[in-house]
Amino acid sequence: MTKRILLYAALAAGALISVFPYLLVVLTALKTQAQLSSTPPWLPGWPPTTDNLAKMLGGDFPRYVLNTALMTALLTAGQLVFTTFAAYAFARLRFKGREILFWLYVATMMVPSAVTMIPLFLIMRELDLVNTWYGLLAPYILGTPYGIFLMRQFFKSLPSGLEEAARIDGAGSMTILLRVLLPLCRPALGTLAIITVISSWNSFLWPLIITSGDDTRVITVAIATLKDGIGVDYHLMMAGSLIALAPMVAVFIFFQKHIVRSVVLTGLK
Amino acid sequence: MIARAARLPTRAARGRAGGKRWGSGWHAYLFIAPSLLGVLAFLLLPMVIVLVLSLFDWELLSAPEFVGLDNYRRLAADGEAWHSLGVTAGYVLLCIPLQTVLALALAMLLNQRIRGVRFYRSLFVIPWMATPIVLGLIWNWIFDPRDGALNTALALVGITGPDWLSDADWALPAVALVSVWQHTGYNMLFFLAGLQGIPKELHDAAATDGATSAQRFWRVTLPLLNPTMFFVTVTNLIGAFQVFDTVYAMTDGGPSRSTEVLNFRIFQTAFKEFDFGYAATLSALLFAVIFLVTLAQVRFFGKRTTYDLS
Repeated sequence: MTKRILLYAALAAGALISVFPYLLVVLTALKTQAQLSSTPPWLPGWPPTTDNLAKMLGGDFPRYVLNTALMTALLTAGQLVFTTFAAYAFARLRFKGREILFWLYVATMMVPSAVTMIPLFLIMRELDLVNTWYGLLAPYILGTPYGIFLMRQFFKSLPSGLEEAARIDGAGSMTILLRVLLPLCRPALGTLAIITVISSWNSFLWPLIITSGDDTRVITVAIATLKDGIGVDYHLMMAGSLIALAPMVAVFIFFQKHIVRSVVLTGLK
Repeated sequence: MIARAARLPTRAARGRAGGKRWGSGWHAYLFIAPSLLGVLAFLLLPMVIVLVLSLFDWELLSAPEFVGLDNYRRLAADGEAWHSLGVTAGYVLLCIPLQTVLALALAMLLNQRIRGVRFYRSLFVIPWMATPIVLGLIWNWIFDPRDGALNTALALVGITGPDWLSDADWALPAVALVSVWQHTGYNMLFFLAGLQGIPKELHDAAATDGATSAQRFWRVTLPLLNPTMFFVTVTNLIGAFQVFDTVYAMTDGGPSRSTEVLNFRIFQTAFKEFDFGYAATLSALLFAVIFLVTLAQVRFFGKRTTYDLS
């Protein structure tokens, strides 16, 4: 019995530690400057104020949120399409150089993104794409080796007889992919989509390097500028943080079961 | 029906004989073409550029000048760069063991029959999706020496907390703690998947033979988790060696360079000092380090692992 109590105590402590920073963001975003110093950080200020949020939403912030949403949508769409194509070819089509090419892809998974940042910037500068949407999106929209690896494993796990019947009926590779295999791939596609959405929304170093104007500024870069701009006005910063985090938390709550299950399913096969 | 069944093998045989089955033609290349373009232009070409650029002196506005191995000579004598490498190693050592062991412990806790197990699993993964740069700001405030949550809580029990992020001894552990907070739950998912893949009969058999639970952990669970352990440590290490966002948001490399990790140094060298040639040299160093560490892990796990890549 004591063992059970200890177990639940440990789980509860872990859960509290996991959500505490999020809680802090919400509480602080709803406080006035005066409440900030008069109440402990983990207690709500009373009455709560929406002034901070209104102030952040009244400025350029909504525009940055829209930019980020657009970037996330385009990268996720590109990733899903091109990754699926490549993974399908690697898993279920035969062609010359398949193994060598696949191992080339796997090898590039080891190239740290930190290392390619500088050359990527120089390539974009050469192509005159610095501070443009093309420059921001190009390096990540054509699919990543990690995603291709993940999807290939999934395609391989499907029974090999699936295509036979369709082939015999004269279906081409594209038809087979779209009509036969993809409907079975929903869990894997879901995982890939979620991973891409989260990593795109959160990406910081590349947007920081490649963009400088308001037209292409994303929320992470805007938040970083905020830090230099308003110093230690934590209630405003937390209001900005809340705006940046809320969509991801919403995605999480919405797809929560799916995320956990699909990572468990497809993460390690 | 009969006619169709009879047709099947003939068609299949003809396909094999022709060697053209499964569309072995050009269209497979169309499927991989976009991603291949991406891999070549945005991963392999940059690698080549880094290596070439590291042989040049180039400050972006002037013309690049070939200097041979001068940058590498400069690197050998550059105390700041080696200091940054040391800080990176320190960061990795602070967060990786902790976030791996904690994740495994959590996974074992959650791999039992308990009420609300799904609820806990989801809660523990929540930190993973937080935007690192935003996370940095939030934790900045938690670590605020005067009215941050941590020191306010410590004061309640009579402890005067340190100045965390402005204290050269505490800043790096504080940044590492944020990584532990963010990644433990996500890693837990992989361990959980691994644990659920271990047949229950093995544990039962070991228990029947009189193995204690500690023995079962070390002799059954851990060896069978080898593939998961390999995956988790390799991906976590590669990520930790490149840490940037949280450092940028929390400390800017300070105080007195105590959190200036290599990736942050590279960023500074390239985009603040515009010393692109030398920044490329530092990138090559970072790549070499990550490559060697990954190779060492492949060797270490390779002896026993059954991790299947194909």
